[in-house]
Amino acid sequence: MNHALLVTKNIGRRKLRTVLLLIAIFIAFLLFGALESFLQGFNAGQNSAAADRLVTVNKINFTVPLPISYVDRIRDLPGITHATSQSFFGGFYQDPKNFLLMFATDPQAYLQVYPKIVLPPEQRTAWLNDRRGIAVGRIVANKNHWKIGDHIPISSSIFSRADGSHSWDFNLDAIINLPEDSQRESVVLMHHKYFDETVTFARDTTSMIVFTTASPKLNDSIEKQVDAMFANSPYETSTDTAAAFNKAFVAQVGNIALIVTLVVSTAFAAILLIVGNTMVMAIRERTREIGVLKTLGFSGPVISAQILAESMLLALFGAALGLGTAWLALAATRRYLEALIPGVHMTGAILAAGLGWAIVLGLVTGAVPAWSGLRLRIVSALGRR
Amino acid sequence: MATFGRQSIAIAGMNIRSIPQRLWMSLSTVVAIALVVAVLLSFLAMANGFRKAQASAGAADIAILMRDGASSEINSVASRDQAALVGEMTGVARAGGKPLISAELFVIVDGTSRSNGLRGNLPLRGITPTGIALRHGIRITEGRVFQPGTNELVVGRAVVREFVGFEVGKTLRLGQSTWTVVGVFEDGGTVRESELWADAGVVQSAFDRQNFFQTIRVRLTSPAALPALKAAVAADPRVQLLAQSEADYFAEQAKASGGLIQALGWPLAIIMAIGALAGALNTMYSSVATRGTEIATLRAIGFGGFPTFVGTLAEALFLSVVGGLVGVVAASLIFQGFSAKTLSANFTQVIFTFQVTPGLCVTALILATVVGLIGGFFPAIRAARLPIVGMLGDQ
Repeated sequence: MNHALLVTKNIGRRKLRTVLLLIAIFIAFLLFGALESFLQGFNAGQNSAAADRLVTVNKINFTVPLPISYVDRIRDLPGITHATSQSFFGGFYQDPKNFLLMFATDPQAYLQVYPKIVLPPEQRTAWLNDRRGIAVGRIVANKNHWKIGDHIPISSSIFSRADGSHSWDFNLDAIINLPEDSQRESVVLMHHKYFDETVTFARDTTSMIVFTTASPKLNDSIEKQVDAMFANSPYETSTDTAAAFNKAFVAQVGNIALIVTLVVSTAFAAILLIVGNTMVMAIRERTREIGVLKTLGFSGPVISAQILAESMLLALFGAALGLGTAWLALAATRRYLEALIPGVHMTGAILAAGLGWAIVLGLVTGAVPAWSGLRLRIVSALGRR
Repeated sequence: MATFGRQSIAIAGMNIRSIPQRLWMSLSTVVAIALVVAVLLSFLAMANGFRKAQASAGAADIAILMRDGASSEINSVASRDQAALVGEMTGVARAGGKPLISAELFVIVDGTSRSNGLRGNLPLRGITPTGIALRHGIRITEGRVFQPGTNELVVGRAVVREFVGFEVGKTLRLGQSTWTVVGVFEDGGTVRESELWADAGVVQSAFDRQNFFQTIRVRLTSPAALPALKAAVAADPRVQLLAQSEADYFAEQAKASGGLIQALGWPLAIIMAIGALAGALNTMYSSVATRGTEIATLRAIGFGGFPTFVGTLAEALFLSVVGGLVGVVAASLIFQGFSAKTLSANFTQVIFTFQVTPGLCVTALILATVVGLIGGFFPAIRAARLPIVGMLGDQ
């Protein structure tokens, strides 16, 4: 008789029980897949940041401005390849709740600091030459149904115009497509010159300076060099890698990683108990049968292997259902989700980790019954009712 | 009916007393339900703690005036001239002939978080003694208030707890100025305990914002005077500000994030509850299966089908309530008073503590009971319908 057939027959003998166990496993892996993908989205900023990119902000806090002249002074340091200003604009579209990740920047320099952004030549030219032009990330454009050539009124929650209004008119000149860097697909970029001309305060300042180094190996010494250059000036600086800066910012939202870990381990602990105990019980019910199989010549290791295969099959099938459903749900709601947390998606690493946990679950829940199957003596098995 | 009742109680008692025979299966259900309840309760306690920290900070007899269109203090701008005009308006309470008004500066400075060593945004409020008096529950727990005109800070209790270097006597460098912490204050756990306070004029010059403020607070002659003040503000074109009660302002702030936490907690708990429900059904079906002979025997000696149903349901409810209680106790022990922080609409860290309340515990227990009810219902139907002859003859 085929071993695989015995395993599947055993799984199918109490269908209701199998279905219930699958539901429990499915739920745990659904949570695992969905929550880990969210966490991935939260950490996207620190994971996708190029290793040679650094950020300089005011030492007091990144909301305190720096003189715009610092950009040139930083760019002139040896080992630094490109540098750009990046000022928070506090922009929103129509409703203050529809807040935009909007910066005023020097477009030419920005594209040098983020060389992976490749704009179609005509969009690039249009944006560089249009003082009122904005370049917009794909996610923002989709969310607000914007397209190239649109005239878009954007308000600022921080700045006001000399005439007292809070609204600016922009031309959408370029759309940024960069799937590997969801942050870049979420920004709105305006010309710093236009910003400087129109705001009533904060002229000739920037909130942060982003720059690239010739090699990540230089990062440490350049960080120190930049901060030393401005030490004891009215505007002292703090320089960090872009990854570290993003990490500190995300950490302010809360310890999302801890919450995800707690919820996922809770769900796993619950299924471990439920499935583990049920497996023990299921094998105990089959004691006499196992005795019969052993009488027929099935060896202890073969019996154990069959039991482990059963628990493994259950775990893998439930996990595949859970991870698959999480993947489908994320894909179906992607448009909505990425506007909230750019970069939410199930990576291969999450999938692999999920399958790894499924194997652990299958092994652990099958271990005790497999051991008793191995040890079971025919005489006592057949004698037991 | 009386027989039904007596029989039901007898069977329920028998089932519950025999749980130790099915110890491991029963325990897995209890633990699974306990975990679900603990997750739900911790999210509810987090949302509640955040909401309380914000909502209880606001008073109805304080009005806060911000730039038209600003939704939080950091986005508002107000000038000294505007403050002078507001001070003369109707509805503003006075003491010794002077209006009870506080024009405040709100800037953000870095602190280093104790929990992860990373930099976090802390609000530094430039304020005056009158401004401090406009806050009802403030109590200095250590040291003293800053001396006007000096680089002295008084800091909220929560800041000392969550951030490095804010104990009394410690110094802090902000730009080119050095500040000394001279006192710690307490405000019943509100969001104010996440703030640093210093003399308004000193903060203005340190941050190069002479004559500019973020917000203006006034004590109203009574909460009922708010509409009059609003009307006066609207009538004066020189004052481009909007007035609202401090209570309303904080309620609005609380809604933003508190709602989000809660919106996450419930779906998570319900999804997990479905998993626990599968476990409970499994346990109860196997309980009915192992008790098959016993149930058939009871039926044979005259017990009815309905009491059998009730007995099984009672067992499931017992397990779920025990699980629920374990979850509630565990979550309360672990999370009550647990200190956490998140980013507020002001772009600064709001420090709050998880607040478990009896009402939230009851909510969490209801979820456990629902899992028990559904998890017991279907197996109980099977128990009531077990064929007597078949079960007795089976062995």
